[in-house]
Amino acid sequence: MPHLDLENRQFIFKIVYFGPGMSGKTTNLLYIHRTLMEKYRGDMLVLDTEEERTLFFDFFPVSLGTVQGFSLKFHLYTIPGQVYYEASRRIILEGADGVVFVADSNTERLDDNLEMYRRMLDNLESYGVDPGSFPIVLQYNKRDFDDILPLGTLEEALELPDRIPVTSSVATTGRGVMQTLKIISKEVIRQFQPTAV
Amino acid sequence: MNDTDMAKAERNGEVNGILDGLVEKTEAITALVISRQGICLGQAGTAASLNSTALAALVAGMFSATKEVANIVGEDQFSILLQQGEKRHIHISLIGSSSMMVIVFEDYSRIGKVRLAARQAAGGLLDALEQGRRRKDEAVESLSVPDFKEYAMNLIDRIFVVGEDEDAPS
Repeated sequence: MPHLDLENRQFIFKIVYFGPGMSGKTTNLLYIHRTLMEKYRGDMLVLDTEEERTLFFDFFPVSLGTVQGFSLKFHLYTIPGQVYYEASRRIILEGADGVVFVADSNTERLDDNLEMYRRMLDNLESYGVDPGSFPIVLQYNKRDFDDILPLGTLEEALELPDRIPVTSSVATTGRGVMQTLKIISKEVIRQFQPTAV
Repeated sequence: MNDTDMAKAERNGEVNGILDGLVEKTEAITALVISRQGICLGQAGTAASLNSTALAALVAGMFSATKEVANIVGEDQFSILLQQGEKRHIHISLIGSSSMMVIVFEDYSRIGKVRLAARQAAGGLLDALEQGRRRKDEAVESLSVPDFKEYAMNLIDRIFVVGEDEDAPS
């Protein structure tokens, strides 16, 4: 459920970019931050290690404007993809209104993608979220690499329902990045039920 | 809180009013209430130079990470976190199970006062947050959901501009 801040008259929706290590989650966010006009975006936090791998999370807020007297905001987060940061991932996923699963299209990363997707489902369920109706977009990133997974591979292996939108992207050039953001944002709004906010 | 503080809290609208009183009492730079999800729920003091949105996201993450540390050492959670800097310090304490209070202050010799004020304000803040939740329910009831969604979709279309060479979803 989004957060409603009555004092400042704003709705805040939380979108989390999830996926295995080095799949391009931070690159997605950096591209979005670069692309959006300054008046719509806040400062970006990047908490990474010396090897530029996300240590805790990346974050920035997006302000879209006013709807029925309420400011509409999205808070975009990434999670650290390395296996040993399970606790951080669980924390960041708490209260999420939607998730973009950034998969690494490299053939050799198939198992990492599958494992991380299953962990994501477990994390969501631990917060009482039903992944069956939760807004998720599956993004196949790194489509510019040579040896890549055919589209459909992950959906089949994970038996994903047809309702989950799938995009393909090259986050380093921005291809598919805004498209993915647009789809997840609309999914989140579409499923918004203003009860028990 | 004394009677004056209580009256002020009522005038200013619960959470912010209580935080105003706390800042005044402790001479802190700023005091915030943030949710466990990292959203700023209330703020008082002179925080113009602080990015409260980022601060809230980071502190919530930090507090949750510390909860994991507490679990490792056999505690359920640490109810207070204190960050001591050269000039500025941060006192973070839990309010109930889903919010926390953040006090940024400069004179470290005031730590006792900060702790005491934080403890005294916690009960009032908890009540104020609960009242706020009830007011939210009322506000949400007055919202026209189909219109809200339609306007929101329009904003998304206008602002999240997709380049011509971007792939459509499969």
